[in-house]
Amino acid sequence: MLLSIATVFYLDIDSESMAAVAAAGVLLALARPALPARVPNWAHRLAFPAIVLFFAGDLWHTGQLLPAIVRLDLLLLLYRGMSHRARRDDLQIIVLGLFLIVVAGVLTVSLLFAAQILVFTACALGLLMAVTIAASTEGGQSPKLVVRGGVPLWAAHADWARLSRRLREIADWRLIASAAALFLGVIALSGLLFLMIPRFQLENSLFLERFVTKKAMTGFSDSIKFGDITEITQDDGVAFFADVSDSAQAPANPYWRMVVLDEYRDGGFRMSSSLKSVQVFGREHTEANIRPVGHVVRGAPTWTFYLESGVSRYLPILGRFNALRFREAQNFRYSADLVLVALRDEPATMTAYRVEGMAADAPELADPTFAGRWRNRAVPSVLPLQLGLALSRDDKDALARITASIAPGAAQAPGAFARSASALLRRQHGYSLAPRIPAGPGDPLVRWMSSREPGHCELFAGALVLIARSAGIPARVVTGFKGGTWNAYSGNYTIRNSDAHAWVEVWDDQKRAWLREDPLAVAAEEAASLERGDAALAGRTDRSWAARINSIRVFWYRRIVNFDQQSQEDTLRAVRSATDNSGKWLRAGIMAAARGIKSLILGPWDVWRLVRMAAAAAALAWVPWMLATGRWRVTALGRGRKGSPVRREAGRWLTRLDGPEALVADLQRLRYGPAPTWPKPSDVFRKARRAARSRRRRPASFQSIS
Amino acid sequence: MSANARIGRRFYWRHVLWGLLWPRRHEKIQPTLSGVVLIGLSFGIGTAAYNSASNILFIALSLLLACLILSGVLSWLNLRLLEWQLEIMPPLRAGQETEVGLLVRNAKKFLPTYALWFEFAARPIERGETARPESTITAKGIDVWAALSKVPESSAGRTVHLRTRLDPGGEARLDWTFTPARRGLLRIEVLGIGSLFPFGFLKKLTGIDLRTDVPVWPAPVEYRRFAGAGPRRPSGDLQQARAGNEGDMIALRRYEPGDSHRLIHWKASARMGRLLIRQHSAQSSEACSIWLTCDAALWTRPDQFELLMSFAATLAQDLFRAGRLQAAGIDAGPMVAMRRVADLESFLDRLAEARPLPSSREGTAKTAGMGRQQINLLTFEPDGARGVAAFINGNKAAAT
Repeated sequence: MLLSIATVFYLDIDSESMAAVAAAGVLLALARPALPARVPNWAHRLAFPAIVLFFAGDLWHTGQLLPAIVRLDLLLLLYRGMSHRARRDDLQIIVLGLFLIVVAGVLTVSLLFAAQILVFTACALGLLMAVTIAASTEGGQSPKLVVRGGVPLWAAHADWARLSRRLREIADWRLIASAAALFLGVIALSGLLFLMIPRFQLENSLFLERFVTKKAMTGFSDSIKFGDITEITQDDGVAFFADVSDSAQAPANPYWRMVVLDEYRDGGFRMSSSLKSVQVFGREHTEANIRPVGHVVRGAPTWTFYLESGVSRYLPILGRFNALRFREAQNFRYSADLVLVALRDEPATMTAYRVEGMAADAPELADPTFAGRWRNRAVPSVLPLQLGLALSRDDKDALARITASIAPGAAQAPGAFARSASALLRRQHGYSLAPRIPAGPGDPLVRWMSSREPGHCELFAGALVLIARSAGIPARVVTGFKGGTWNAYSGNYTIRNSDAHAWVEVWDDQKRAWLREDPLAVAAEEAASLERGDAALAGRTDRSWAARINSIRVFWYRRIVNFDQQSQEDTLRAVRSATDNSGKWLRAGIMAAARGIKSLILGPWDVWRLVRMAAAAAALAWVPWMLATGRWRVTALGRGRKGSPVRREAGRWLTRLDGPEALVADLQRLRYGPAPTWPKPSDVFRKARRAARSRRRRPASFQSIS
Repeated sequence: MSANARIGRRFYWRHVLWGLLWPRRHEKIQPTLSGVVLIGLSFGIGTAAYNSASNILFIALSLLLACLILSGVLSWLNLRLLEWQLEIMPPLRAGQETEVGLLVRNAKKFLPTYALWFEFAARPIERGETARPESTITAKGIDVWAALSKVPESSAGRTVHLRTRLDPGGEARLDWTFTPARRGLLRIEVLGIGSLFPFGFLKKLTGIDLRTDVPVWPAPVEYRRFAGAGPRRPSGDLQQARAGNEGDMIALRRYEPGDSHRLIHWKASARMGRLLIRQHSAQSSEACSIWLTCDAALWTRPDQFELLMSFAATLAQDLFRAGRLQAAGIDAGPMVAMRRVADLESFLDRLAEARPLPSSREGTAKTAGMGRQQINLLTFEPDGARGVAAFINGNKAAAT
């Protein structure tokens, strides 16, 4: 019950307080089992209508079905946890708990779900087995756990320490090992079933996600203030994993583009409305594939991305691509000019997509549409030229002075100009995650440029954009992630939120492309980014424990969450080829063994060799002989060395009690008699406890007389 | 009296497959409430999984299905290699409580067995009756209810639970106490073995062919004896030797447990190499024989006929106990000398299965032709509408 309640804490549906109350109630009932019996009957009668009323009110008030159902589930769990229950109620608890765990799993697609459902299954099966066995000892009737108008005996005398002692007594390593083996068998079987359950796509999207409104967690949106990206870098959580089909082509210093911000206003960059317009971004599609027209990259590896929830609705992409495939149909907008993909809603779960034929490390992004627009820039257009400077005259003057200091002589090519400007910025400003913008009038970014205060990536990128635009070069800020680590165990990129970055793209009319310029990247780094494969990844390889854990997560995403009909067919093919190969290996092994035996027999024999062979044969025969003769005995389950706990308990009572005679006779029968003749042990021990208590209550004078 | 059975010694796939197509008698698997919920849950999650293509739901579905399979495997292991033996301690008497024991043994080497129950049943049968489907009731309209209502009167059954764990190689005895309603041949059988183990999802019932037929002797009745109507003492060669402890030695027989050691004939035992017991004749010669007729013309009322059987059985036992029962016979059957307890038991067995017969001249002729045996012959006649009277030498000796 506690396990399922815990799922609510990472569901993000504003039910944490209720989950805490439910958990506290269950813990209280565990600590004081007699407490639920003190709840008056009218409260039990009113409980169900009250819960239903609460659900109706909750639904009416919030208008969200799934969170209301989850809170209803929590209330029912709380009620069941706080009341004595019969066998059918145990089943209710299991179903309610399973619902919470499955909902949490579907909404989060977290690896934690796997661990949680396994532990929950083990607990549920253990509970059901205990209940079944307990019912059989009562002659098929469920133990009477509920007593009307009173505290049941089991609750009045509940003693967790004693119970744990009893459990320790009856615990036997063989039993525990068997249970563990059995449970591993269940996991293996369920894994096999998971692989074998036939898959077919009904072209339906996730039904549960529609019932939850996920809140955006980070600053990767189409509008940012300075400091938003830096705030993301404070978080060391994983933003996404990226698989590449050919690690030899993995770039050393990838820039994962997500959002393009072209409009600077009020001290922040945003994606202008014209950039978001249909002309640039296109209409919304509901499809599972994106196939850009006219871009074909041959020989490029296939990338698979596993984007965690809460990062952004914009998908990280390295460059132009041939095709992008989702697992299922999605609502999205795709901009071929910006090379951006924006989902309609913030994904509530991990989003997996595969990108084929992607230009992974191109520092240039060809944009023929913008090139046409730039050539005809004299013609008025609603589409931006990305040259706008919404600054006051003083700020523009200050900016012009800075720009003039960069290119005092002949005009430079945009790329060279951007590099010079970046170098100037790096010379004047250090890097800091906690920058200080000098106070004063005018634009804050211009004030910072005019100072020598250190800054972060957004300030550097913003400053470079303003400088470039001031020089008449179209420029824009691009946000996303830079770099990442290469997981040595699972062979994939792991990109954390701390890798969040902002850089600049400047327009080069000669190349008819946008050039990437990272004002914080030093020249050596730029040169290293051209490396590929193992040499490029050597400096990024992560072999830490965190990488090991992340490799399990990647396995979960690759093999479990992302498993589909294609994967199933691939698995079956792999199994078939493995079976074929195993047959070949087996035949080869048998033949090799036969040849070895033949050469052994035909080899020259001498006394020493004879002795060695005899010793080997004796050693091989020794183990079965020991087993056959009973010298090594595999003890049966349930027959631990400690013997029967009932007999031991009876023995303990016999040492403490010397009467009454009938009770002693019963205890002796339990201690020494054959099991079929036993009276019901729990009754006898209860009488023994009563007798012991009555002896303790006897006045001291009586004791002295006796 | 005992009967043995066992299951699970050998495993054949063809048995499993045939069992699915053509289940054995009393063999069924029923989902319990938990099972129905689990199956419903599996359907729901499966439908959601296919609709949403969510692998999380497929995982949940796989786990649920794996749990169902595990439940079946554990249940099969639990019931495997069990042996049982039905133990009935005769005599069984109508109206008297009887204990039927079932000795259960777990022949598995490593695994214990939990949470079993056995379905006991006892129903009257006719000797030599052919097996027929038990569920077939031939009746029309309202008679069906009458036929159904008769079933619990004559049949008895109960489910007895194994309350303790049965360790590997361990044994346990289950007792079923019941009261046979009527005399006759009773078939006591263990219809099946059931279990909810391990998780209570499925109620598994396995039919086991364990049965034994035992006679149920008539119920004892109270009766009145009439003074002055006793057996006469025959003279001379009319006296017959029969077993007793007082008179001359009439035979030697093999020692049986319970015999007094004083009666052992040591010399003969030494010669024969085995213990032999002296059998003496009874001193008293005031013995009588019992003969009863099951003539349907005489015993027209079934209740009165049942009373006759009970009366005859009670008298036979009382007379034997007093050492005054010489022989007993029914209808045209031979008069069997009542020398040993086994003779009396045989007579009571015959009484248990006796039925009213159509009138026959043979029986009447036998009564007439008994010659000298008619002296001290105890016969029975209806006494009024409900009672039964016993006559000896023409005098009313006892009545119910």
